[in-house]
Amino acid sequence: MAEENAPQQQSYGSSGGGGGPRSSGPGGGPGGRPGGGPAKRGKRSFVRKKKVCRFCVDKADFIDYKKAEILAPFIQERGKILPRRMTGTCSRHQRWLTVAIKRAQNIALLPFAAEL
Amino acid sequence: MEERLYDLIFICRPDTPEADIDKVITTLETVATEKGGKIDSVNKWGRKRMAYRVQKLREGYYVYMVVRSSQGEVVKELERRLKVADPVMKYLTVRLDEELKRQDKLKRHRERRAARRPRKTVPAAPPMPGTEPQAAAPTA
Repeated sequence: MAEENAPQQQSYGSSGGGGGPRSSGPGGGPGGRPGGGPAKRGKRSFVRKKKVCRFCVDKADFIDYKKAEILAPFIQERGKILPRRMTGTCSRHQRWLTVAIKRAQNIALLPFAAEL
Repeated sequence: MEERLYDLIFICRPDTPEADIDKVITTLETVATEKGGKIDSVNKWGRKRMAYRVQKLREGYYVYMVVRSSQGEVVKELERRLKVADPVMKYLTVRLDEELKRQDKLKRHRERRAARRPRKTVPAAPPMPGTEPQAAAPTA
């Protein structure tokens, strides 16, 4: 019993230590990431799917601020722009995306903040 | 000064009659031509729900137009007119030509790379059939 328990605990601890700082809590806000999976006790196998930039897949040369439906998935319900680590957007496209979102906000296509 | 391209969107109050909106558009067109610019296209998006309240209204009548000019004065005057016009609640001008230039550059870059790629794959292809018989030989 004791021998069985010890390795289990060790593996649990090591995996928890590895995953801890990065995952920073499973309830990390809305727009949850896929691939996190249900974290079962004892067996922790994080097979995180590699996120790819959606705009790179589409080979987008520019992001149109007039198409609010394209930009909508990249903002939170409260109106905040989602960070790259949540959406997997590459740095170049994130730069364009933030500009596009801010323009759309100015012309009332997207909200600055959720209304009460 | 080279010619510049702008996006111009403005939102009218939803209760304005269509005739008034047309009047705003025609005045903008005349102003643009007077100042040496040109309005390439006008596109009425119609009544849309806005993402937040503007002047206590939830809906607005969107009009989108593309302006071409080589004088900065044109945009200045257009914006002044929009500010003064009664039915207009909100407007936005965005300069487009630099983004289009960037888009063009990226497209050309990709095409050049695409044109180069076949040359790379052609030398890579001949070894492939060569390795296949080798791999097949031990199994057979």
